[in-house]
Amino acid sequence: MCSGVCRRRRKETATLASALRMAARMDNSDVQIDEKTIDRQCVMEFVIQLDEMIEPYDAVLSLGCGAGVQAVAEMYPELPIIPGLNTEFLGETKAQGHWAETCVGCGDCMLYYFGGICPLTRCAKQIQNGPCGGSIEGRCEVNPDTPCAWQMIIDRLTTFDALDRLERVYPPKDWSKKQGGGPRKIIRADQQR
Amino acid sequence: MTHSSPLTIALFYCRNVPGSGEAQRQAIEVAHGRTVRLFPLPCSGRLDMVHLMRALEEFADAAYLITCPEGTCRYFEGNTRAKKRVERTRALIESIGLEGERVGIVMESKENPKPLSKLVDELKTAASALNPSPVLQWAEKPRGRERRNSL
Amino acid sequence: MSHLRQILEQGEFAVTAECGPPKGAEPDVIFKKADILRGTVDAVNVTDNQTAIVRMSSLAACSLLKSAGLEPVLQMVVRDRNRIALQSDVLGASAIGIRNLLCLSGDHQSFGNQPQGLGVFDLDSIQFIETVRKMRDEGTLMGGDPLSAPPDIFIGAAANPFADPLTFRATRLAKKINAGADFIQTQCIYNLERFESWLSMAADRGLTEKAHILGGVTPLEVPRYGPVYEKQGVGNGYPRWDHQADGRGPQGETARRRDSHLRGNHSAAERIARR
Repeated sequence: MCSGVCRRRRKETATLASALRMAARMDNSDVQIDEKTIDRQCVMEFVIQLDEMIEPYDAVLSLGCGAGVQAVAEMYPELPIIPGLNTEFLGETKAQGHWAETCVGCGDCMLYYFGGICPLTRCAKQIQNGPCGGSIEGRCEVNPDTPCAWQMIIDRLTTFDALDRLERVYPPKDWSKKQGGGPRKIIRADQQR
Repeated sequence: MTHSSPLTIALFYCRNVPGSGEAQRQAIEVAHGRTVRLFPLPCSGRLDMVHLMRALEEFADAAYLITCPEGTCRYFEGNTRAKKRVERTRALIESIGLEGERVGIVMESKENPKPLSKLVDELKTAASALNPSPVLQWAEKPRGRERRNSL
Repeated sequence: MSHLRQILEQGEFAVTAECGPPKGAEPDVIFKKADILRGTVDAVNVTDNQTAIVRMSSLAACSLLKSAGLEPVLQMVVRDRNRIALQSDVLGASAIGIRNLLCLSGDHQSFGNQPQGLGVFDLDSIQFIETVRKMRDEGTLMGGDPLSAPPDIFIGAAANPFADPLTFRATRLAKKINAGADFIQTQCIYNLERFESWLSMAADRGLTEKAHILGGVTPLEVPRYGPVYEKQGVGNGYPRWDHQADGRGPQGETARRRDSHLRGNHSAAERIARR
């Protein structure tokens, strides 16, 4: 079973299922593994499509993100739901087969000040008053394959003639908007029924 | 080790490989019987990991891809992409304990392209170094219980 | 009151050294280093798990140094502590009589021996400086809660004149000074030309009037450290090393043991001092 934005999801699911069936056979275990793809594993209206087929199964391996795994688990409390992916980040599709992390979901967006480049996500030290002393020829000392986010911010603000935005000391981040009250939720009363 | 029954190989190939027309394909199949299963592709770039996996899962001791020479793909990158998929498939089968040699890719030489029948012979020889696939040995055994309703 | 502060405010040339705490629980190492340095330096920097390698805590090592009669400069990095722990340690440091604090980001955890550790970075170094200044001058914690007694701390910050982009380095220095840094310690200077251009940019902004600048000097033990520094990118601006068999450095000067910041490289120190 699988979901998400990856457009090859059916083939990915079929490939993994095939590998698991082969592994089970080599292990002499009699396991039946079948596949099902749904469009959104994090939306109950889609998860419900599993209702008609899920009864005979002993477990579900979910290739959804962490949210998808939990939505399925909530829907079928009696079944073990096993995560099949390590969900990593909120990112951007840079090119086919290349995704990059660009947002940590901090709940307190500062992109305007930093020329549309998030230092909390893209600077290894999350510095809001950067760059640190490890910026070398536009690269990050932590991983020279990574561009220094602060060099990018400075370049971009220079283009806008807005470098003065970096003269002020940005105050410490309000992390309560990310983790202060436990898991966050968004309620839009106008959209609720 | 000698095998009582010959191994079965699955061969996916680009239709631009010389000697791969319909008549030649049929001749190869007659010559090798059930031990060689041929799957022509309009371009090797159409190969997906799941094709190799399903072949290994269902009938093949080894599954190979034959592509046109590097730089001559009619769709520019079909064969180079296919190569990466074969590599990833190899890593995947190794992760479940199957020998990586059970999948492979042969790129035709630009200068001396070999006809399909010759490559089939070579790949059969290469595969003969392998033991029968442990995946298929299991398939021979009786099932412990009834298969559930398929999806 | 900080002795280092008195010296700097009198316009004198201050000499500080560095003391790295041991990778173990023995206090003797600190006392041994204290014996070497006693009478030769005005204050001693105590590093805080530098290069992200676990060592005896800087605060504890500072306390030991102080008991041995030396004035410590407590280094604190924001890599390992959130704002609660940082503020708490500042109060504790002041309570045991530590009067100098150097506020740093810290080397990234991936460089050390705990690469799987969480990098906290709740505050950045500039926010940390501002926090300490408000604790000291306004007697408040972040968020405004009053302190029963403010810490008595001379606040330091680091600057790397050799990192990029050069033109922005002076801006960042200004931010540190405006946030509350009383003194600045630079990275090791191997490129005097670049240091001088950085310093003149700082002077143009009036920064050299607002804060005391201490140039960092580290004589290298050749060839042990040269190639290591080059590889790690430590001491950015460090000249490309010519691996000479006789162990001579780029100026042909025999490098000496890395004892302290300002020993053994007088010519550079004097040129820096003249600025």
